[in-house]
Amino acid sequence: MMMGLGSVEIALAFWLSIGSAVLCVVYGIVNWNNKGAEPGKAVPEEDA
Amino acid sequence: MEGKILGILVYLVGIFYLGYKAWKVTRKPTDYMLAGRQMSPFVLAMSYGATFVSTSAIIGFGGVSGMFGMSMLWLTFLTIFVGVFLAMVVFGKRTRRMGLALNCQTFPELLGRRYRSKFIQQFSGVLIFLFMPVYAAAVLIGICRMLEVAFPMVSYGAWLLVVTALVAMYVVTGGLRAVMYTDAFQGSIMAVMMLILIVTTYTLLGGVGDAHQALTDMAALVPEKLTAGGMNGWTQGPDIKSPIGLTIYTTLVYGVGLGVLAQPQLAVRYMTVPSDRELNRAVAIGGIFILLLTGVAFVVGALSNVVFYERFGEIAITTAGGNFDRIIPMYIDRIMPGWFSGLFLVAMFAAAMSTMSSQYHVSGTSLARDFLEQHVSIGNGGSSMKLNQLGVIIAVFATLVWAWVLPGNIIARATAFFFGLCAASFLPIYLLGLYWKGMTKIAAKVSMVGGFAASMFWLLFVHLQESAAIGLCQALTGQSSLAAGGEQGSWLWLMQWVDPNVVALPVSMALAVGVSLATRRMESKHLDLCWDGLC
Repeated sequence: MMMGLGSVEIALAFWLSIGSAVLCVVYGIVNWNNKGAEPGKAVPEEDA
Repeated sequence: MEGKILGILVYLVGIFYLGYKAWKVTRKPTDYMLAGRQMSPFVLAMSYGATFVSTSAIIGFGGVSGMFGMSMLWLTFLTIFVGVFLAMVVFGKRTRRMGLALNCQTFPELLGRRYRSKFIQQFSGVLIFLFMPVYAAAVLIGICRMLEVAFPMVSYGAWLLVVTALVAMYVVTGGLRAVMYTDAFQGSIMAVMMLILIVTTYTLLGGVGDAHQALTDMAALVPEKLTAGGMNGWTQGPDIKSPIGLTIYTTLVYGVGLGVLAQPQLAVRYMTVPSDRELNRAVAIGGIFILLLTGVAFVVGALSNVVFYERFGEIAITTAGGNFDRIIPMYIDRIMPGWFSGLFLVAMFAAAMSTMSSQYHVSGTSLARDFLEQHVSIGNGGSSMKLNQLGVIIAVFATLVWAWVLPGNIIARATAFFFGLCAASFLPIYLLGLYWKGMTKIAAKVSMVGGFAASMFWLLFVHLQESAAIGLCQALTGQSSLAAGGEQGSWLWLMQWVDPNVVALPVSMALAVGVSLATRRMESKHLDLCWDGLC
């Protein structure tokens, strides 16, 4: 688990970096075709 | 040399082909500002990543990692988890939907319309226009220094002009569509090069575990000055309560890692896709892409110490003559095969151009759309492409001026500075504006101005690196930092190395929540419009 790194703090950062990339891939695949909701178009008013 | 020139020429042909393709279909302001809201997930992910990660991250932060070690991997983790996952899932989807519901074309416009405030739009626009060129200049400096080493017959000053002209040409004419098409091409080149770089480096050092172990075993070689500053080794974290520890964790990791969420040039990209589907797919592509870019740069930066020590008997920062911005270029030049150094140069050129193009675009449109257009009347009541093009040209010149006057060793610092300023000014009102109907217009104004003021106060009077360089604190109080008078080793004394954002972001957030609770809610009709399509 340490992969030759000198402290748990750095090894954790190393694995979290890889883990978060894996999370992104899994999320992307699970929601691959999810288009979500679409708002209607409107032009808002503005104040100063 | 011929290989390098040929590589760059082929690359430029690709860039100008894509720029031309984009220009041909850029006819309306929405094309120029938001790429017609029709970008694909691949283009979005690569453009987002390539804009986010520039030479600043690869050369500048890779160099920081070469000097201070792998604690920079915490920034890699945050760039992926916060910068891609949370950014696209938590911020991106709502930004896209609210941006569409309110018919927004820029990030300041989104804030302005969410709070029905021209002041917010104009203040944000001016702030982005004034400070983005500093960040862009750091990127420009990085690539020009690299080109100067690769082609010594052309001076640094000449490179500044050439690179500026090349990027400006397609940004001014093709707008965000040209920026994003070229970003995707540039990002692909960067990803391939970084993959080759990490595989070669680990192979050279006998594999992942052996490479790390060799670096761990070099802890005794850390220069005395760095040990005194709190560094323990290249694979050990620094002491938190030390100048180096505080700089790495508060400025580089916290400041940049969270600052990414409120970057206008990134936030505007959420509004360039037709549905959430593109954002979902972009999460998958972006996660891998950012790992390849920042992860590789920081690991290779640190491991360069082992390679340099084995080959030349000295650590990276010594080989680089004390300038950490030179560590990665020296590593590529001296260690990697000749064919790679030529192609890597192209990749760095791509990294710089992809970030700069977005910076020019967002800075110029902030000036034109969010400030000038609020004061001049546009014929059809809409947006003017010509005015936005003029804004981009002004931003290009502002960047060039900054690049001329900023000192060396500035790349990572200028990036952190801009990220920090954006986070303190925009993050609370952006986040709460997307999720909390109780957030009020007055609270948004107070939070934005308060966060900006707190950040600037800390920069001018406490954070040593800027306060000493600017000199206002010295002139008014006789000390380079208000914290310099504290007892050495005490927390007061250590404040000199605490990033402005550690103080400014909580101040800004507290103001946003506190003032909202004390002021009148916004009209429910307006909130219903903002929340159209949101749960």
